Amino acid sequence: MRWHKTDVSQYVEAKEYIDSAVIPLISLDFSLDIEKNAAQNEILEILASQLERELTGRLMLVPSYYYIKTGNREVEISRLNNWVEHIKTQPFRHVFFLTFDSAWKKEEQALQGSLIWLPGIQSGEINSKEMQGMVREQVVQIGELIRSYW
Amino acid sequence: MSNKKQQVSRRQFLNYTLTGVGGFMAAGLLVSPLRMAIDPVLKHSSSGDFVNVGISVDEINDTPQRIDWTVEQVDGWYKSEPSRSAWVYKDENGDVVALSPICTHLGCVVSWEGSDQHPDHFYCPCHNGLYTKDGVNVPGTPPLAPLPVYEQEIRDGILFLGNPIEREGA
Ligand code: FES
Repeated sequence: MRWHKTDVSQYVEAKEYIDSAVIPLISLDFSLDIEKNAAQNEILEILASQLERELTGRLMLVPSYYYIKTGNREVEISRLNNWVEHIKTQPFRHVFFLTFDSAWKKEEQALQGSLIWLPGIQSGEINSKEMQGMVREQVVQIGELIRSYW
Repeated sequence: MSNKKQQVSRRQFLNYTLTGVGGFMAAGLLVSPLRMAIDPVLKHSSSGDFVNVGISVDEINDTPQRIDWTVEQVDGWYKSEPSRSAWVYKDENGDVVALSPICTHLGCVVSWEGSDQHPDHFYCPCHNGLYTKDGVNVPGTPPLAPLPVYEQEIRDGILFLGNPIEREGA
C-alpha cells in the first residue's frame, strides 16, 4: 500500500491484513557529495516502490523521512521513535526503516523499529539494464528479510 | 447619431475581440486533450496495446518463468513507466499461458513454488495464498478468484501481451 487515497481506503477495509510499515530514511546533503546524495535518494525511492509493489497486500510504504546528514542524531532518533509509536497504534506489528546511511547502524539499538541498512549501490546510469537487475535483486533480498519477520 | 453609432461599434469591437480571444483560449484547452485522444501520432502506447515482452516462444517451457517489462503510461499528472510482470509457461497442449502475478486477495506478487511446502503451486507470501498451475485459487486460502490471464498474440515466434483479464472465482 502506498500513502495514496485509493490505497489507503483499501487499507482501511483490510487493516487486519496489513501489519507491516516501511519508512525510507533519506539523508539530505547539499555539500560535497550532493550528486551522490541525490542519486542514492533516487535509487532508494525506486527500491522502496518496487518493494511495495511485491508485498503491497501486507506492507504500507510510509512517506519518506528526510533529515540533514550532519544534523543532530539524538533529535532524529526521538522523532523517528515518535513516528513508530504513532504508526504502531494503528496497529502495525512491524515497522522497518530502509536506508543507505550507514550512520544509522550505530544507533540501531535506540530505534524502535527494525533497521534495514543497504550498502550503497554503485551509482551509475539509473535506467541501465544492470541497474534494473541490481535493484530487482536487492528487492528480492529485502523482501525475504521482511518475510522472515512474519 | 454617427457618434453613437461609432461608440457602439467600438464597444462591439472590443466585445468581439475579447470574446474572441477568450473563446480561442478555451477552444485551445478543449482541443488539446481531444486531439491527444484521437490523433494516433500523439497517442502513447496505452495499456490496451499488445507489447513485445522480450521473450520468444522457443524460450518458454513447461516450468513457469517470470518475465518483466515496462509500458509507457500517461496518467493525469504522471508520465510513468510502470513495470508489469507475468508468469509464462506452456501447458500440456503446448499452448503458451501468461498469468498475471498479482494476487487477487490484496495484490502481492505471487511466485511459482514460492514456498517449499507447496510445490507445483503459485504462492503468495503475504497471507499464504495458493493457486494451482493454471492460476486457479485454492479454496481455503485468502484469494477468492483465479489469477488473471493476459491477452496474448504470437507474432513471428515472439510473445506479445495485452491486458490481464480477470476470471471468475473457484
Ligand atoms: S495478498 Fe495474496 S494472500 Fe493476501
